[in-house]
Amino acid sequence: MSERSEVTIKQSTAAREAAAPPRKEAPGVRISGLTVVYKTPAGELPAVRDVSLTLEPGSITGIVGESGSGKSTLALSLLNAVQPPGRISTGSVEIDGLGDVVGFRGERLRKARGQHIGYVFQAAQNSLNPLKTVGKQLLDLGRSHGVDDLRGLVREAKELLGRMGLDGARVLDSHQHELSGGMRQRVGIMLALVLNAHLVVLDEPTTALDMITQANILKIVREVHAERGLTTLVITHDIGVVAEVADRLAVMYGGRLVEQGPTRQVLAAPRHPYTRGLIKAIPRLVGDIDEAQALPGRPPTLVTVPKEGCVFRERCALRMDVCDTVDPQARVDEGAYGPRIVACHAVTVKERA
Amino acid sequence: MSVLLESSSTSATMRRNFWAGVWRVMKRKPSRMVGVVLVLGFAFMGVFGPMFYPAQLPRDPNLITSPPSAQHWLGTDDQGRDVIALVVTGSRYVLLAALVTALITVVVGTGIGLFSGFKRGRWDTVLMRLTDMKLTIPGLPLLLVLSTVWKFGSPTQMGLVLGLLGWGGVARAVRSQTLSLRERGFIEAARGLGLSTTHIVGKELLPSMAPYIAMNMLIAVTGGVYAQVGLFFLGVLPYESNNWGQMLNTAVFRSGALTVPSGLGFLIGPLLAILLLTLAIVLVVDAMDEIFNPRLREE
Amino acid sequence: MGVIARRLAGHLARGIVMILVVATISFFIVRSIPGDPVAANVQKLIQQGMDPVAAEQATRVLYGFQPRGTLWHQYIDYMSGLFTFNLGQSVSHAGQPVTQVLGEAAKWTVLPVLAGTLLSFLVGIVLGVYAAIKRSGKLGDVLAISGSLLHGVPQYVLGLLLSAVFATLIPILPADGPVDILYEPGFNAGYLGSLAQHAVLPVATYALAAYGGWILAMKSSVVTVLGDDFILAAELRGMKRSIVFRYIARNAILPLFTILALSLGLLLGGAVFIERIFNYPGLGLLLLDSITMRDYALMGGAFLLITAAIIVANILADLFYSVIDPRVRGGEEVST
Repeated sequence: MSERSEVTIKQSTAAREAAAPPRKEAPGVRISGLTVVYKTPAGELPAVRDVSLTLEPGSITGIVGESGSGKSTLALSLLNAVQPPGRISTGSVEIDGLGDVVGFRGERLRKARGQHIGYVFQAAQNSLNPLKTVGKQLLDLGRSHGVDDLRGLVREAKELLGRMGLDGARVLDSHQHELSGGMRQRVGIMLALVLNAHLVVLDEPTTALDMITQANILKIVREVHAERGLTTLVITHDIGVVAEVADRLAVMYGGRLVEQGPTRQVLAAPRHPYTRGLIKAIPRLVGDIDEAQALPGRPPTLVTVPKEGCVFRERCALRMDVCDTVDPQARVDEGAYGPRIVACHAVTVKERA
Repeated sequence: MSVLLESSSTSATMRRNFWAGVWRVMKRKPSRMVGVVLVLGFAFMGVFGPMFYPAQLPRDPNLITSPPSAQHWLGTDDQGRDVIALVVTGSRYVLLAALVTALITVVVGTGIGLFSGFKRGRWDTVLMRLTDMKLTIPGLPLLLVLSTVWKFGSPTQMGLVLGLLGWGGVARAVRSQTLSLRERGFIEAARGLGLSTTHIVGKELLPSMAPYIAMNMLIAVTGGVYAQVGLFFLGVLPYESNNWGQMLNTAVFRSGALTVPSGLGFLIGPLLAILLLTLAIVLVVDAMDEIFNPRLREE
Repeated sequence: MGVIARRLAGHLARGIVMILVVATISFFIVRSIPGDPVAANVQKLIQQGMDPVAAEQATRVLYGFQPRGTLWHQYIDYMSGLFTFNLGQSVSHAGQPVTQVLGEAAKWTVLPVLAGTLLSFLVGIVLGVYAAIKRSGKLGDVLAISGSLLHGVPQYVLGLLLSAVFATLIPILPADGPVDILYEPGFNAGYLGSLAQHAVLPVATYALAAYGGWILAMKSSVVTVLGDDFILAAELRGMKRSIVFRYIARNAILPLFTILALSLGLLLGGAVFIERIFNYPGLGLLLLDSITMRDYALMGGAFLLITAAIIVANILADLFYSVIDPRVRGGEEVST
């Protein structure tokens, strides 16, 4: 098995070098001051509030958060695809070689999706038209983006699928219901990359998959990322996934980015009390099960998230008076492996003392 | 004592919230108010309408199948009687039979649907096969064939026959509701609390389905009206008393309302009554749907 | 293919059971008609001078079962006749076999019903998509309410209204039978033109009666599909609007094929009214006439054929559905 996949790797890289399309560089992405609001009976409520985040070219960034933290909304913002009743109210998403996608409309936006930015859905979601074979949907995709060489597209798709350990011809001839969760996920990755996009967003790539398939998919994500020269954003609630693949880690809570930094540093020495809680909550294979401590309380919803002050204070062990009224500002520490950013009053106070 | 007080006050607020919700739904689309008024109007017409007219409607031999005039707004029938008076006096038969139809439809349908969805297993399979068969046999032809052996002329008999033929749809719907409540753990939870089957069905299942059943009953009323008016229109049933279907039959096949325009009023009277009743019930069901279906309300 | 064959077998088995049930119903109804028309017929023939054996023989041919004997024997006699497509003879059609009379009438029912269904299907689907997309606006409301209203109004009301307006008030269309008798039947312009002209009102009635159901069903189906993940996925992959629209349409139409069967059943059952109003000599009118003329063999046959048509429509709709839905074809139960 491993032998075979090695062979396919060599073949596919060789094939790509031979017929290399005009190579795009892995783009950098700068999200700044992004706020996304949802229209509710109680008025417009922010799901993502004043988030700034930089994706370095060629890096894998992981965003971790509980459900309702705004991470999926943030991911959709990268494609300017926040669904109504939501909308991007302020901020920008600058992508190298494209510009600020927040201002994109119509055809320009449509072409950017797919050709420049690939989006991979959760495995549990049915991201394929149940009535058409994968191959026919691939051709629809090619026609949508004005690909003249449809045979070449199919060849590329087969290669990608083969690279991921699938029988390309068979998969292209299958309907969605004939594919397993792991196979669907690989098809999703293929469709995101086949038009040669160099910025890829993966939304919960491993949720609802079994352990072995999870490990496989993550390996594929890492390898494909390196081989094709991508900038990758992984959205997950599973800190283990981020530990496995990401160079940088960003933690979201209640629509805010509370901490970010190089993955190893953040995992080894978390600063924000929420990040610490998340890491403590992971059960370890070795050691006592009691060591894993669930974070007390529940994550806030759109309606219950505090309007002012720190969003995490309700569940925070280090809560102070100032947390009730003042929103903690992000503190940036430049380090050798990139900046570390944390937004917490308690951390600031402790470091000053 | 305090517990009692508290629960009664919460149920009072719940009731207030409910009526507030009803009011909001009505206000959002005023046409629904029209529906409610129309339904009440038809009920009034069926109960009290005939009292305003003499048992023998006055005949005007000089005005036979006359077109609408100031004196007779929708004209007269082939015996010189006022069409509006005929519609009003005929409504009692029609509405009474429809009410009986709806009651039987809903009682039988709910009973079978509940039983089927609650018991599941073999009973469910057998009952649903039966329901499917019933739904496949075309209702009107079956009624026509039945009319050769059974002259169900009186309103209660008519209601009985139509009700016994019409419960299939309600049974299917109630069964799927029961199954979906079961899926949500409703029944298992009640079982776990040690509640008896009668309690679960009577106090838990039925109330949560009541609005749904009520809507089905309103729809069954219209179904009852259509079927019996249709049967009388086709003329396969003996004359029992004046009713809308009878009027249509006389208008079309004896007075030639479709060939001479002067008889059109005679035809329009009962048609208008049926159309207004349909409109009323569609509007009320639409409002009920929104009141009891929170998913729709939020949209 | 095996899955489709299995489904078809199941349908056929159920269909045959249904036909047997309906035949049983008509047998027992004929048997229990007040005044026992079967015995009366034998008596009548004897009085006309026929010898008793010949009279019984003639009556058997007429009704499809022996006039004498136990109920059980008669039932077996009737049902076995059914398997050789012998439904007796029609008294009101000069002793023609019932099957032949039914065959004559069937075309006047089947063609208008199919035409009406097709028409309402096309219009209802287009407007249903529109009602789904504009569902929060005024126009969507109007479409939905008009759909519910038309869906609710019985066919005879629509038929009478159309007839009153277009045949009586503004007499531009005929409502008196399937064709003008002055034309020679055959492939000539006059006959075909007259045929088409006479079909307008009945077909329009069938179409209007079914259209409301289509618009409502299509609306809710489109709303469901719009919420599906794969539509968002297609948009996020930058698919063209026209392609996304095709994805929506095809997925939304699919569940409507189950309703197609119901709709055809409804229309076939309601054919009695429309054929009566427009004097169309189809199965419905035949059923009605057979009742008023006490032609019980014909009545049973017409009832049986209408039911059989509905069963066949059910099977065809389901087969069509299985062919176009790859999930059924692949053997997976479709849950939604």
